[in-house]
Amino acid sequence: MHERRILGTELLWAFGVGVLIAATLSMIVFTALTGDINPPSNVERLDPKTLHLSGEFAEQNLGTTVGADGSVTVRAIATQFMFVPHCIAVPRGRPVTLRFATPDVIHGLLITGTNVNTMVVPGFVAQVHTEFYRTGDLLMPCHEYCGLGHSEMWSTVQVLPDDQFKPGQDGRVSCAQR
Amino acid sequence: MVPDQPPAADAPSEVADQVDERALAEAMRVVPLGAGVLAGLAVALLVIGYLLIYLLVFLPRGTVG
Repeated sequence: MHERRILGTELLWAFGVGVLIAATLSMIVFTALTGDINPPSNVERLDPKTLHLSGEFAEQNLGTTVGADGSVTVRAIATQFMFVPHCIAVPRGRPVTLRFATPDVIHGLLITGTNVNTMVVPGFVAQVHTEFYRTGDLLMPCHEYCGLGHSEMWSTVQVLPDDQFKPGQDGRVSCAQR
Repeated sequence: MVPDQPPAADAPSEVADQVDERALAEAMRVVPLGAGVLAGLAVALLVIGYLLIYLLVFLPRGTVG
């Protein structure tokens, strides 16, 4: 009799846990499909030894660029112990593609107050699609220990309203001087 | 001076306990229910905490992918 009751309790508990797991997974899938919230995943290789010499991560291509179709792309390098450029300008309320690469060791970054959070691994391009809702300066620190200067490695993401986010003739946008 | 205790090996293998069988049955009826309530409460608090963070912190931070 006791064993039957114990078995019944265990089955009831297993059912409850199963319902919780199913509800959690459903919620994650639902927000992924309707809210476009997914873990960033991008497998794109590049040579870390030569990325600074030519191509999209050469120094003159770093920073924020507005394409002919209006798409906003940010390219930055994470290196011991700084992000280049040190300040990144992005528009409020528009889709932004962030692309990062590193020539040395594994770094990581997050942008405070947003869901942007990724690793930057040598040999790969870390890409994150996002949108910023509030204007202001957001801190972007390195969150993967990368050496003795790790704690000094941070950058600023400046979210600008539309009237201040003005690309130049070359389609590039820099941080506003304040 | 404390008198020498007999070694444990010399103790009888079974000692009649003084447990009231009815009290034992009553305790066994209630204790599993309490354990279930305690475990349920712990899991409920965990799930509520997860939901609060997910709905009030994670989702308002916007799209990412």
